[in-house]
Order: sequence, then C-alpha cells, then structure tokens
Amino acid sequence: MSGARGGWLIAISVVVAMLLSIVHLPEDWPRWMGWLRPNWLLLVLFFWVLEVPHRVGLVAMWCVGLFVDVLTADPIGLNGAVLATITYIGWQFFERLRMYSVVQQGLIVFVLATAAEVAQVMVLDFGSDHPWAWSLLLSPLMTMLVWPFVFLLLLRLRTGVRVE
Amino acid sequence: MRESGAGYLLFGLVFLSGVLVTIDFSTRLLDPLRGGIATIVSPFYVVAESPYFLSGAIGDVLSTRDQLQRRNEQLQDEILSLSQMAQQAISLRAENDRLRALLGSQSRLSDEVLIAELVGVVPDPNRFQIIVNKGSLDGVQNGQAVIDAQGLFGQVVEVSRSTSRVLLLVDRNHAVPVRINRNGVRSIAGGTGDVDGLVLENVPTSADIVPGDLVETSGLGGRFPPGYPVGEVESVLVEPTSSYAQVRLRPTALIDRSRHVLIIFSSTPWEGEPQVSGSIASDAPAAGPDTEPGVSP
Repeated sequence: MSGARGGWLIAISVVVAMLLSIVHLPEDWPRWMGWLRPNWLLLVLFFWVLEVPHRVGLVAMWCVGLFVDVLTADPIGLNGAVLATITYIGWQFFERLRMYSVVQQGLIVFVLATAAEVAQVMVLDFGSDHPWAWSLLLSPLMTMLVWPFVFLLLLRLRTGVRVE
Repeated sequence: MRESGAGYLLFGLVFLSGVLVTIDFSTRLLDPLRGGIATIVSPFYVVAESPYFLSGAIGDVLSTRDQLQRRNEQLQDEILSLSQMAQQAISLRAENDRLRALLGSQSRLSDEVLIAELVGVVPDPNRFQIIVNKGSLDGVQNGQAVIDAQGLFGQVVEVSRSTSRVLLLVDRNHAVPVRINRNGVRSIAGGTGDVDGLVLENVPTSADIVPGDLVETSGLGGRFPPGYPVGEVESVLVEPTSSYAQVRLRPTALIDRSRHVLIIFSSTPWEGEPQVSGSIASDAPAAGPDTEPGVSP
C-alpha cells in the first residue's frame, strides 16, 4: 500500500492494549474489582477501524486474537472471531459511526463489548460451568466509560503521527 | 476492493475459529500451537508483572537492618525445626522402606523438584492460573504437579519454551484425588472458584470426616504424587435431604501469596493403592462404594 504511514502506532497501541488486558491488581485488593477491567483491545480496535478502516485487516485482527487467546487462557480461536467480527462491523458502518458524538459512539461500544462478552461466556459454557451473572455487564460498562478518554488520546496521537 | 469478499472472509474466519475452539475443547491437539504462541507472548507477562517485581526489589533495598536481622533470626529458627523434622524423615523413610520390603511392595522413591518463580497471573476473576518462569527448556511437561512451601498448588497445563502455565487447585475446572490423612477415606477435592475454598465431591453422609482433618493427595489417577497436603477440612455439613455431605476445605497452599513454587518431577508416576489400605478397610467402611468409581482414572 503506497502512502501508508504510521502503521507502527497502530501496532504499538494494540500491543499496549494487550498488556493492559493482562496487568493484574495487587493480590490484597478485593477480587470483584477484576470484573471492572475494560475491554482495552476492543476500544483500540474500534478507534482504528473508525478512523482508518483500510489499515485494519480482518485476517490480521484474527491473528491478534490468537495471541490474546493464549494470553488470557481462552480456547484458541475465540478472540479471533470476536475481533474479526468487530472489524467487519466497523468496515460496514464507519462512515455513519464517524458522524456520531463521542457519547453515542460510547453506546455503540457498550453494545459491542456486551455482545463480545456474551459470545465469550456462551462459548465457555460449552466447555465448563462458568456461571451467568450480572457482573458480566460491569466490564462493558467500564469500556463505555473509558471510551471518550481512549478516543481523545488516540486521536491526538493519530494527528501527531499523521497515520493515513 | 476489499468490500466484495469481506463477508465471505469473515464467515471463513469465524468458521475456522469455531473449528479451532471445538478442537481445543475436546482434544489436546492444539497444545503445540498454544505452546508456540505462548513462547512469543511470554514477555508480555514479564512486562505486566514488572511493577510488582520492582516494588518487591525496592522493598528489599529499603528494608532496615533491624527488619533484616529479625527476619534472619526467624529463618534460623525455621531451619532448626525443619532440619529436626528432616532427620526424623530420614529414619522414617528407612523404616518405611524396610516395612514395604517386608510387604513385598515397591519402595517409594523421593520426588525431584524444580524451583520456579511466578512471572504472571491470569487476571480473569473466573480463572485461577499463573505463569511461572520454567518451561520446556527446563524439562517441564504438561500435567506435572506444582506445590508451594505449604502444600499442593496446582498443575501445569501449558508449556512454552521458557514459561509454563499452572492451573491452581481452587480453579473451578480443577479437581484432585485425595484421601483423609487420618483414616484414608478417599474422595476428590474440586475447586470452587474461591481463593480459599475447596469442596470434597460426592462424600456419603456417613463418611468419617470431621473439621480439622488434613487432606492429602492420594496419588490415584497417577497425575499427582501421593502424600502432599491439599487442605484442611473446614466444615462438614450434613443436610437430611441430601445424600451427600458438603465438606469444605481450606487449601494449605498460600494460593494468592506464594511467589515461589516447586514443580515436581515424579519418579513414581503410578504408585497405585497406598499400602496401608488393609487397616483402612476396617477403619472406615463408610468410604463406601460411592468414592470408588469416581477415583478410578
């Protein structure tokens, strides 16, 4: 692709998101706080697919998903399917989503994060007895709340580096 | 240009994911792939864990002379009492071997261990898994038992070149064949998803188990070497309507605190029935037919 630049910023942001998704809280903190972890990868991916959809590939995201599977001890292929689906949805609707305000985008992020969470629990249900619970919604809620900050930060970085 | 085939591509990828997930759930075929990827991503864990390493290191540097001295004295005391126990253990082992020889059974070999350090924790509150810094280069293999200084810790479930993943015994998906140290009643200790809770599964209400009993690995199933402490019985709840007693254990291992663990290289992969079972049978008829089929591998 000619004129492609700033790919390293996309790569770095994805790597940072993966790191953030495995950083754990100190052991003496209450365990339920672990439910509050935003879906960092979804946030970063959503940003890039809105801003520069032609730079985010389905297969690439699926491969990133493989790494995430191993990092978070999910069955292999699970996160790949989720990330690829989100990329596809972004591709289909990015023109419209760009027009939305940050708050409206946050709501979309909430829906996507919830769908991803539900899909994961459904798949895990086949293999074990993970319980359904309302705590399922905590992570998508946090993801929604964090979205404006991630959006602004990445937007600033993006314009600074001029990712095309 | 991409738009035309994107739908098909997505379908293909999701389908491939489905196939992979199914394979991963039902077989161990993908273990090499998992190990390979884990080799690439293991630095992630090191980076994610580095704040804790740093704070630990800083704490070491900043600890006062007083604290160090006190700690030193504590450790000296501990060494004394442990070496006294070790002396006893040597003579007991010799005696045990003699008795076993008299009974005509194979003598129990001691297990070799490899010290490993925790380098990462899987942060999902549903899961109890840690990453340790020894991998296939050190000879670690899938399924090896892991202990800490206090008792059974878990087992290795994934090995990369220089790290491996340990499933802790309190994880909901973990279970270990155990026996009561006092009378040899056999059962299976399953994880509850709580950091300080294990349950004995399918214990008949008549079983001779009381709070305070020490529960140790039975060695049945061949995955865990026999004789390592698993937990202490915390409560035994007998409900009139249920045919099973609810027995809760508190794990002896410091599940959420140990940073150093031992990976066991068992020299006796299958030891079979503990040889004292002759006296057990009369002692605890209540162990019953119920525990038997569950325990057999």
